[in-house]
Amino acid sequence: MNVIESNQLTKVYGKARGISNVTFSVREGEIFGFIGPNGAGKSTTIRTLLALIYPTSGSATIFGKDCIKHAPEIKKEIGYLPSEVFYYDNMKVIDLLKYSASFYKKDCTKRMKELADALNLDLSKKIDDLSLGNKKKVGIVQGLLHEPKLIILDEPTSGLDPLMQQKFFELLKEENKKGATILFSSHILSEVQKLCDRVAIIKEGEIVKVETMSALTENSYKKFRLETINEVSPDFFKLEGVTDITRKEKTLSFIYKGNINTIITKIAEIPLKNLWVEEPTLEEIFMHYYEKEE
Amino acid sequence: MNIFLHELRAYRKSTIIWTISLMVLVLFFMALFPSFTKDAEQVNELLKTLPEALRKAVGIEIGSFTSILGFYSYVFMYITLCGAIQAMMIGASILSKEVREKTVDFLLTKPVSRSTVIVSKLSAAFVSIAITSLFFVLWAYFIALYVRTDDFNEQAFFLLSFTLFFVQVMFLAIGVIASMLLPKLKSVLSISLGVVFAFFFIGMFGSTVGEASVRYITPFKYFDSMYIIKNSQYEWSYLIVGLMWVITALVASFFIYTKRDMDAV
Repeated sequence: MNVIESNQLTKVYGKARGISNVTFSVREGEIFGFIGPNGAGKSTTIRTLLALIYPTSGSATIFGKDCIKHAPEIKKEIGYLPSEVFYYDNMKVIDLLKYSASFYKKDCTKRMKELADALNLDLSKKIDDLSLGNKKKVGIVQGLLHEPKLIILDEPTSGLDPLMQQKFFELLKEENKKGATILFSSHILSEVQKLCDRVAIIKEGEIVKVETMSALTENSYKKFRLETINEVSPDFFKLEGVTDITRKEKTLSFIYKGNINTIITKIAEIPLKNLWVEEPTLEEIFMHYYEKEE
Repeated sequence: MNIFLHELRAYRKSTIIWTISLMVLVLFFMALFPSFTKDAEQVNELLKTLPEALRKAVGIEIGSFTSILGFYSYVFMYITLCGAIQAMMIGASILSKEVREKTVDFLLTKPVSRSTVIVSKLSAAFVSIAITSLFFVLWAYFIALYVRTDDFNEQAFFLLSFTLFFVQVMFLAIGVIASMLLPKLKSVLSISLGVVFAFFFIGMFGSTVGEASVRYITPFKYFDSMYIIKNSQYEWSYLIVGLMWVITALVASFFIYTKRDMDAV
């Protein structure tokens, strides 16, 4: 079953920004990554799904219900954490969390305490006095305290130190194991790589590709780096499936997708000093997608 | 209900401060009343020396000034001015502060509809100003009982005093619609003071030139204190027009709010 189904979702903002024909779906129980640089339309998509903004055309369903028409009902089972958290400054953390919990028709006290303990969050402080990282923790607790079935995170890690980030990812994995579906948007690829099952790559308001993490990183793509004895022109490797060729003196590197025998035969034609074949990082694949489009 | 209580709590402090300020203000003015009545003749003589235009502008009528209702209605003009500022500020901030302080993401990703949000918030604003009005009126009544020199028409007194609430409701509605039409509103205080004083001066100007149609423009002139004192009732046409304005502004705000895009910060 698909938890989120976005169908030709479009938001037009005059000339700039916005998203066009965003179509993707998130299956129940998966961690779905949403990657793209700042301004690509990640937040716009998420805000439309949450009915904070209204689509110009297209539609989306969450739990099978229209995300605009049934917004209040759907949100009972959604936990949302924005990239920048802002809460009522003059409230204490505990009061803010209680206010947050009061929107859900169940007792969230126990889970609230657990989460606060796990994150080392002092509940008696005023929100105003908290550091950015601690405000973020308040955001995490308020997003998870009602044990939502769908967790939507919009660049959630900014402001968290690496240790807390680790803790936060563990919490997310735990929720995921309990059955929660997660939509995770980020421009930091390594964190998406760590966490997600599938990713959608978004660029200038359009989805460029949706693929499983394993398909993105394994098998299909290889990163070649070869040190040659004589200088070799990059044009030598201009063949189907080769991209991102760069040359630094006698070192050539490129990304290859295709039959491994073809490339090996080609490489065998030149005398080598050394050869590396690696899995490309998501970052490199990602850049590869971006460049190809241009 | 939780939003309503949250908002009520958020405005608790300012409501208390405004209520106490109005109470102190009326106490201060009404405490002067006994000394005015003692020298009634001289006061009237003195007032006659003021230019007529000025007297009309600030709402002084010779003769009425030395009766408790007349004196009170004069004082009351400034009370409604303050009450209007309070109401306009609540109205202008209750929806826009979430956007300004960026808490709107928190609130609108909760399982509530926007109509629930706006209705809860407006109810909290209404209750806040109703509390202010109620405490003020009761307090003013006790003061009047204390400083009176003669019996006075209590019904007229209450009718007059409760116009504070009606004027406040009108300014609340003006504040709400202003914050909807000016989504980038930065300073609630300056726009509130500006609008309230503009209407206040329009009212003064209208009284001076004796132009009746001006009365429909400014909420301060919807309730003519002299009429209320004489007839012990409101002028229905103004009450109805005022009510229509309020309903129009609030309904328009409702639609703007429920349809608006809450853009990222």
